[in-house]
Amino acid sequence: MAFSEVTRERARQIIARYPEGRSRSALLPLLHLVQSEQGYVSPEGIAFCAEVLDITKAQVGAVATFYTMYKRKPTGDYLVSVCTNTMCGVLGGDKAFEALRDYLGVDHDETSSDGKITLEHAECLAACDYAPVMTVNYEFFDQITEDSALTLVKQLQNGERPQPTRGTRLCTLKEMAVQLAGFADDRGDDVIADGPAGEPTLAGNRLAERFGIAVPGFDPETPITKKAEEAPKPTETLPKAASDGKPAGDGPLPQKKEEAKP
Amino acid sequence: MTDVVPKVDTVKLTIDGIEVEAPKGALVIRAAEQIGISIPRFCDHPLLAPAGACRQCLVDVEGQRKPVASCTQPVAEGMVVRTQMTSEVAKKAQEGIMEFLLINHPLDCPVCDKGGECPLQNQAMSNGQSESRFVEHKREYPKPLPISTQVLLDRERCVLCQRCTRFSDEIAGDKFIDLMERSSNEQIGVFRGNPESPEDDAPFNSYYSGNTIQICPVGALTSAQYRFRARPFDLVSTPNACEHCAAGCDQRADHRRGKVMRRLAGDDAAVNEEWNCDKGRFAFQYTQATDRLTKPLVRDRKTGELREASWPEALTVAAAGLAAAKDNGGVGVLTGGRLTVEDAFAYSKFARVALGTNDIDFRARPLSGEETEFLGSSVAGRVDVTYADIERAGAVVFVGLEPEEECPIIFLRARKTYLKRGLASYAVAPFVSRGFEKLGATVILTTPGAEAEVLGESEQLREALSADGAILFVGERLASVEGGLSTAARIAEETGAKLAWVPRRAGDRGAVEAGALPTLLPGGRPVYDPAARSEVAAAWQLDAGVLPSASGRDTDAIIAAAKAGQLGALLVGGVDPADLADPQAAEQALDAVGFVVSLELRLSVVAKRADVVLPIAPAVEKTGSYVNWEGRVRPFGTVLKTAAMSDARVLDALGRELGLELGVGDVAAARTQLAALAELPLPGTAEAGTALRGSVRVAVPTVAAGAAAAPTSGQAVLASWHHLLDNGSLQDGDGHLAGTARTPVARISKSTAADLGVADGDAVTVGTGRGAITLPALVTDMVDGVVWVPTNSPGSTLRRTLGVAEGALVEISTGGTKS
Repeated sequence: MAFSEVTRERARQIIARYPEGRSRSALLPLLHLVQSEQGYVSPEGIAFCAEVLDITKAQVGAVATFYTMYKRKPTGDYLVSVCTNTMCGVLGGDKAFEALRDYLGVDHDETSSDGKITLEHAECLAACDYAPVMTVNYEFFDQITEDSALTLVKQLQNGERPQPTRGTRLCTLKEMAVQLAGFADDRGDDVIADGPAGEPTLAGNRLAERFGIAVPGFDPETPITKKAEEAPKPTETLPKAASDGKPAGDGPLPQKKEEAKP
Repeated sequence: MTDVVPKVDTVKLTIDGIEVEAPKGALVIRAAEQIGISIPRFCDHPLLAPAGACRQCLVDVEGQRKPVASCTQPVAEGMVVRTQMTSEVAKKAQEGIMEFLLINHPLDCPVCDKGGECPLQNQAMSNGQSESRFVEHKREYPKPLPISTQVLLDRERCVLCQRCTRFSDEIAGDKFIDLMERSSNEQIGVFRGNPESPEDDAPFNSYYSGNTIQICPVGALTSAQYRFRARPFDLVSTPNACEHCAAGCDQRADHRRGKVMRRLAGDDAAVNEEWNCDKGRFAFQYTQATDRLTKPLVRDRKTGELREASWPEALTVAAAGLAAAKDNGGVGVLTGGRLTVEDAFAYSKFARVALGTNDIDFRARPLSGEETEFLGSSVAGRVDVTYADIERAGAVVFVGLEPEEECPIIFLRARKTYLKRGLASYAVAPFVSRGFEKLGATVILTTPGAEAEVLGESEQLREALSADGAILFVGERLASVEGGLSTAARIAEETGAKLAWVPRRAGDRGAVEAGALPTLLPGGRPVYDPAARSEVAAAWQLDAGVLPSASGRDTDAIIAAAKAGQLGALLVGGVDPADLADPQAAEQALDAVGFVVSLELRLSVVAKRADVVLPIAPAVEKTGSYVNWEGRVRPFGTVLKTAAMSDARVLDALGRELGLELGVGDVAAARTQLAALAELPLPGTAEAGTALRGSVRVAVPTVAAGAAAAPTSGQAVLASWHHLLDNGSLQDGDGHLAGTARTPVARISKSTAADLGVADGDAVTVGTGRGAITLPALVTDMVDGVVWVPTNSPGSTLRRTLGVAEGALVEISTGGTKS
């Protein structure tokens, strides 16, 4: 399957963001771009990335199979990710996932038969304060229960787009992939809960204050400095390890070509 | 030339209480090696960049909280290192890593190809614990997974050291394998597309893939050819030189019960470092072909068929036939380019002394008179370019040579230098081949036939060749370009660049030195020069006037003369008519000539037409030397001791039958004789020969640069070279290897394709009056009006089918319209 001209043009734009000779760095957004058209990273998508970046398909495949956000099977319109890591799991995430699994009849990394919902259990979504959480196309739904998760998924199946707890309104997974590829988002005017830390985030802090728990010798007024401003710590200095900071497999310099001589 | 040893900054450190002085920037693991301390390792390889992937080489460094990987840690002044020899911390760390590595590694050493020579097995014994604490079920994978038709992967054995992926990336430039998946599923793999269409997969078809098997520190990568065929401890290993191309790789042949089971790259820092190509590694089964000749054959007078004969009978018949032909038109000698230098010398002497002729030529390919002169003026006796010179060169220019396809080790050296310090490569070629691409070469796109003109006039090339230590590489293909070699010699002279002639076959350069040419005696002595002749005559103890003084005929002229009935007989070594510019003419010549003696390994096209066939030994069954493109002698010993005789020994016997004592039957004797005439450091010949010193050298040819042919509508200029892996007869018998060959395609430019109305994959037919070949088109950025096809690949047997050489005009059409 050939990719559309829109996608090809976007690919050119993505590659143009990176310094010359470093176009390989454009691979991550390009894989999202491929997902934005096909919903997953298909073999054609890998071939497409390899072609536009002039690297081998094996190199593209290695990256595409490393990250879980690159899907290897066709996906639904909505990617429902339920956190089943420790905190969310014990607070109801496991149950919510099981409920969705039973209702949709699909397991982890599978898509419902109507082609609408792809279910996955996610590793930590970095929102333990709002546990248990789930995301739909990477937008948060906080403090879910089995029932609220089921209701949410049913709404999605009915074509509704429920409002996430935080972030902005939902879009389809393919639309989300366009954003992840680095193309502007036109939903920015109605971002929700985009402010100071919410009550659950501060719950621990309040408890500590109430019971007078504090880290000995810690001054809460300590200014946060940037790393660069910090004085370098006098640790043992060894020459830098030869492999550090140098990815194995840096490609050769770009090809020079001469004009034809008849 | 004496090499100046550059002054190296060093630092002093202590390893296990021993003070070591190591070059600044050296790795701790190397510094430890200097004093004989071996730190266990898997991912570390001296020719690959440090990776720190396996963590097996952990050592204790004073002042560091944690053990340090010695394969990535550069040395520092005053550093105090303790290895497993003196540090409990290092010992425990190494044992811990080993335990991790062995968690999922199967204990199938008794059936694993690597068992017995396995770094993991050995180091688990020397540096691991005797008992495992792991009681759970080990991970299993379906096995083996073919990542090409030749290379098989057993994933459960892999310790993810990444030597193979790093080799493919850093050395070969073929990044067809990589680490797939993540975490505990991480595994080496190639790109696999849809399981329903495996043809979309991108297998590990690298010309150097076999090296990954050799450097795999476990049994994860094995070759289809060798898998389960032998155990290392049952094999006898014999050092050997590769018989395939002019690179001159050092190799090791492992054999058992009279059969070579596998070949490995030898370690020769001056030539192939530790690598070789897949052709050298895997293509050796031709010696076991069913049509291998072991007994002489003589054409029966009654039946007209070849029948087995005794050696005495065959030699008598051959000698009688040659003697009769000598006085009746003469004998032409075609030796082919696969001979050892000793064998080539035997042919050279036999032709001059026994047959009284200079009609001898080793070239079994398109050639020219200009080339004959060039070989005398600029090749014979010259040893001024080496592999190491590539690493020092200011620039390299390739004309008539695609290094990856035609001399893979030159390619590796150039690529190494390109990656290390950005060596500027230039090429005069019809398109940017994969090899040129990987060298980052500046390619001057040129129509075949116009190379001489481009080389002569390009300011860019002149500037490049004027760089310090610049090298101009010319391939044997340049012989078919009018003025090509003349221009190369002139430009090299004018710019001060070094000039290297790179033939395609292992025996070519040796044949030049041994005088298997119509105009050259051994040591590059011109036939026309009386002083040169008398030197040779004196060395051979011949009376004055015995050596023929008239220049002989080259391969084409010998064939033409034989075809016209002017020659009495042909004496043919390993020549395949299909390699010649016009195979049809060669076969007609063989049919027309009165008497043919064929020295052959297998019942070839020539042998089938011969009156006497004398079987000879393949490279593994004889002792000898090749001379590689550098002019470096590559001696090798007998791997398999059989009754087969070398060409030289057969010619010696034939000479005796003619009443002559040539003294070339014994390798040592042949070497002594040759060393007296040519400056070749052959083994056992300590006294240098008189060689060319004080002798006359053939003048450099001065043929004016020709122009490329001008195609009219429906025509194109033919461009071609051999794929490294193709239909070559020395690659017979290995389907696994053939499966990794590049797919034959017809390359045409965008506008040529548009004129024909074809797109990628559509059939394109290239034809001449004699025949046509049809291949899928591949639209390439190249000169218009040119079509490139491989010379001798499946479906593209150029010489045989079309009967033309590069630079010729061919008809081009869409597939199927011409039969």
